[in-house]
Amino acid sequence: MNQHGSSVKNWLLGYVDAWDQFWFTPRQPHTLSILRIIAGVMLLYSHLVLATDLSAFLGDTAWVNNATARQLHDGTFGISDYGRTYLWFISSPTLLWLHHGFAIGVTACFALGILTRITSPLAWFLQLMYLHRLTGTLFGFDQILTYIVMYLMLAPSGSCYSVDAWLRRRFISIDRGRFWNWLFPEAKATVLANIATRLLQLHLCLIYLFGGISKARGQTWWDGTAVWYSVSNYEYQSLDMTWLSGYPRLFSAMTHVTLFWEVFYCALVWPRLTRPFVIAIAVAVHAGIAIALGMITFGIMMIAANMIFISPVWMQHVLVRLRRPSQQDEG
Amino acid sequence: MDSEPVLLTKRVRLLISILIIGHLLALVLPPLSVQTRGSIGQSPSVSTALDFFEPYSQALYIDRGYAFFAPDPGPSHLIQVAISRPEEPLLEKMYPDRNEQWPRLLYHRHFMLSEFMHEIYQPPGPSEELLKANRQEARYWSLLRARYKHVHQSLVDHLKHEHPGDEVAIRRIEHLVPNLIDYQQEPIELTDKRLYRVLLDQPIEQDASE
Repeated sequence: MNQHGSSVKNWLLGYVDAWDQFWFTPRQPHTLSILRIIAGVMLLYSHLVLATDLSAFLGDTAWVNNATARQLHDGTFGISDYGRTYLWFISSPTLLWLHHGFAIGVTACFALGILTRITSPLAWFLQLMYLHRLTGTLFGFDQILTYIVMYLMLAPSGSCYSVDAWLRRRFISIDRGRFWNWLFPEAKATVLANIATRLLQLHLCLIYLFGGISKARGQTWWDGTAVWYSVSNYEYQSLDMTWLSGYPRLFSAMTHVTLFWEVFYCALVWPRLTRPFVIAIAVAVHAGIAIALGMITFGIMMIAANMIFISPVWMQHVLVRLRRPSQQDEG
Repeated sequence: MDSEPVLLTKRVRLLISILIIGHLLALVLPPLSVQTRGSIGQSPSVSTALDFFEPYSQALYIDRGYAFFAPDPGPSHLIQVAISRPEEPLLEKMYPDRNEQWPRLLYHRHFMLSEFMHEIYQPPGPSEELLKANRQEARYWSLLRARYKHVHQSLVDHLKHEHPGDEVAIRRIEHLVPNLIDYQQEPIELTDKRLYRVLLDQPIEQDASE
C-alpha cells in the first residue's frame, strides 16, 4: 500500500513539476515585442479606418444608435450580458472625436513602445470599450486582435524594439529604483512573458479546435466543396477563384486539409517535429483568406498570432542576422 | 524556454495557477456551450459551469463561438435601401458595396452589419397558437421581434439623418452562391440576378421568400 501510495504521489508530483515548468519558466520578451508592433499597428489601422466614418458607428445617429446598442446588452430584449461600455452614453460628436483621438494616440504609443507599461493596458481597455459599442459590426479580426493585445498587457512587451528600450539605454543606465525599472523594463527573461505566451498559445489552440469542430458539423467540409463555396461568395471575394470549379481534386484537397489541420492544430503544434508543418499550413490558409476572401486584416493577424509559437531566442537570432548586413554597410 | 524556473513561492504559484485555470475555463466554456446545444437547449452541465464564468467571459469579449465559415459556407445577406426624394428619381443602394465603402475593413464592417440584421431577424408574431400554448415562449418571441424592429428602425434613422427630408425604406436581400454542379455545367456571373432574392418580413406560416 505504501509503495502504491508513493508511486501515486510521485506521479502527481511529476504533473506539478510539469505544470510549473510550463507556466513558471522565465521567457525572453522578443517574440512578444515583435507581436506588440504588429498588433499595435493593426489596432491603430482599425481605429484610423473607424475615424473615416466615425459618426456612422458611434453616437446617436450611428447605424446602431447608442440606445439600441445598449439595449442589445442590457436585457431590454430578453438577452442580457455583461458587456459594458461608457460609449453608450456619449452623444456629443466633439467628445466622441476627442475620445477617438485619445485612443489613436494611446495605440500609436503602444505600437511604438512608448510608456508601454501604461499604454498597453490602456490600448486594450479602449479597444474593449469599442467592441461592446460596435455590436453587429465585428468579426474574427476584432477578436484575435483584442486577445493578442490583452495578453501583451501582462508581459513587458515594451522591453525591446521600442522607444522605452531606447530611453532605458540612453537615460536609465544606472539603477534608479523599482518604479523606473518597472516603467522601463530590461529585456530579460521573465515569468510574466512566459505566462502571456502560454495563454495566447492555448487560446489560439482553442480557437482552431472549436473552429474545426464547428466545421465538422457541416456537410460541405466533409464532401470537399466548402472551399469552392467560400471562394464563390461574391461579398467575401477579393480575387476571382471560381476557376477552382474545374479542379475538383484541388478544391476538395484544400477543404480536407483545412478541416483536419484546424481540428488537430491544438495537438500537432506542440511537438517540434510537426510544428513547422502546422505553422506553414496556418500561413498558407490565412494568406489565402487574406488574398482571396478579402479579409487582409484578419489574415495578417492570424499569421501574427501563430508567431507566438516561435521561440524568442530564434527570433533574436533572425533579427540579429537581418541587422548585421546593414551594420556592415554602415561600417 | 530560456532559463531555469525562478523561485516564486509555492503560495504565489498556487494563486497564479488558480487564476490561470479560471481564465482557461472562461475561454473554453462559451464555445463548448455553443457546440453542446441540442434538443434540450444547452447541455445542463456546461450551462451550470458557464453560469459562474459568463460575466467574466462576456465582459472581456472572450465569449465567442469561433465558428468561421461553419458549419457550411452559405449565402450572404445584404441590405437594400430605397431613398425617395421629392421631384427626383428613386435612389437605390445596396449594403455592403465594395465601390462605396473603402478601405476593405470599412466595407467588412458594413457587411457584418447586414449579416447581423439577418442573424437577429424574427418574423412578426407570436401566433395565436403559440400565445395559447406557451405564454413564456410567446413573450420571448415578442422580445426578439422588438429587438429586430429596434435595430431596423435605428438603421432607417441613420439613413434619414444622412439624407435629410427624404423617405427611406430598407429590406433584406439574400445573395446565393451558385450550386457547384450547375456552375460546372454552365458558369454564371456571381452577380447574376437569379442569385438574389428578397427576404420578406412576414409571419412564419407563409412563404418567407420570393
